[in-house]
Amino acid sequence: DDAVPRQKIEIDNTVALARIRETIQLDKSLPWTETLVLSYPETIDVDLDDDLKRELAFYKQALHGATAARTLAEKHGFPFSRPPDYFAEMAKSDAHMERIRARLLDETAGIKKSE
Amino acid sequence: EMEVDEPEISPPKKKKNKQRVLLLSSRGITHRMRHFMNDLEVLLPHVKKDSKLDSKSQLHLLPELADLNNCNNTLYFEARRHEDLYLWAAKTPNGPSIKMHVQNVHTMDELKMTGNCLKGSRGLLSFDKAFEDTEWGKLTKEVFTHIFGVPSTARKAKPFIDHILTFSILDSKIWFRNYQILEKDPLQPSGPPQMTLVEIGPRFVLTPIRIFEGAFGGATVFSNPEFISPSAVRSAMRREQGSKYGHRKD
Repeated sequence: DDAVPRQKIEIDNTVALARIRETIQLDKSLPWTETLVLSYPETIDVDLDDDLKRELAFYKQALHGATAARTLAEKHGFPFSRPPDYFAEMAKSDAHMERIRARLLDETAGIKKSE
Repeated sequence: EMEVDEPEISPPKKKKNKQRVLLLSSRGITHRMRHFMNDLEVLLPHVKKDSKLDSKSQLHLLPELADLNNCNNTLYFEARRHEDLYLWAAKTPNGPSIKMHVQNVHTMDELKMTGNCLKGSRGLLSFDKAFEDTEWGKLTKEVFTHIFGVPSTARKAKPFIDHILTFSILDSKIWFRNYQILEKDPLQPSGPPQMTLVEIGPRFVLTPIRIFEGAFGGATVFSNPEFISPSAVRSAMRREQGSKYGHRKD
C-alpha cells in the first residue's frame, strides 16, 4: 500500500503566490542577455521510471533551449560560441577529465573483449 | 531630499540583473552533501559561501547573515539524521522561501558524466512548460531565475555560452540537469555545425514541500499534499516488511 500516514491539508493560495511573484519579479525591460532564461513550450510526459525515455526528454528540452538561445544571442549581438583559443579554468580539472577518459577507454576495451 | 539641477543628461544606464546568493548548510551534512554544495559553488560564481549554521532553530538569523554578505538570495541546505537533505531557496530579506526535499543527487565527480564547462561561465536556464501551469510553478521559476542565473557582472562570467541548466517538472518534482553545449558534432568535426550536448552534472531532484511568504518564515502560501516525509516512507517500508514476515510465520 501507499505510504500515506494521514490526510494532509493542502494549501494553494494562488492569489498570494501571484502577488508575491509580482513583488520580486525582475524588471521586464531587462534584456534577455541579463537572465538567459528560456521557456520550453512542452511538458515532460514520460514514465519517470523509464530512465532512457526520461533522459531523452530532458536532453530534448536542453537542445531546444540551446538552439533557441543561439538565435536570441544573434538577435542581441551577444557572442554565443566560445573562441577556440580561449582557455581558462574548467569546472572539472584536467586530472578529473583524464579519469573520465581512462574509464571510457576501459569500457571500450571491455566491449571489444566480449565481442 | 534635495533636488539638484543637473545640466548634463547622463546617458541611460544599462539595466543589470544584480543577484548574489548566500550558500550555507546546517551541521551534520555528509561528505556527499558537501560535494554537491561544492558543485553548485563551482557553477554559480555569484555565490558567497558561508560557514555552517550552528543551530537548526536559528533560521531567522539567515536574512541578516545574507544582508551582511551583500546577498539578496539564500540557498540553505539542512541535513537531518545524516541521511535526509532539505533545501531552502529564499529571497532575502523579504521572502518568499521555498522549502524542498533533495533526492537522487549525483555529483560532478561521477565519471559517467563526460561533459565539462568553464568554471563560473554563465549557464542558460531552461524551464519546461509545466512551470507555467501553476502559480507555485511560476513563483518557483522566478526565484530559480534569480538564484541559478549567473549575472553578467559576476567576476568569472564569460562573454559566451558553453552550458545549459534545465529544470523540468515530472511527477510534481523538479528535475535538474546540466549539459555542455558542443556546436560541432565531435564525430564529424568537419561536418555541418550540428549542436550536440554532453551531460556535465550534477543531477538532483527537488520535491517542493512548502512555500512561505517571508524569508525562512511567515504564512504558508503553498503546501504540497503529495509530499511524504522520508522518515514516514521508511517507517511504512519497515511496517510492510514486518507484516510480510508475519504472514510468512502464519
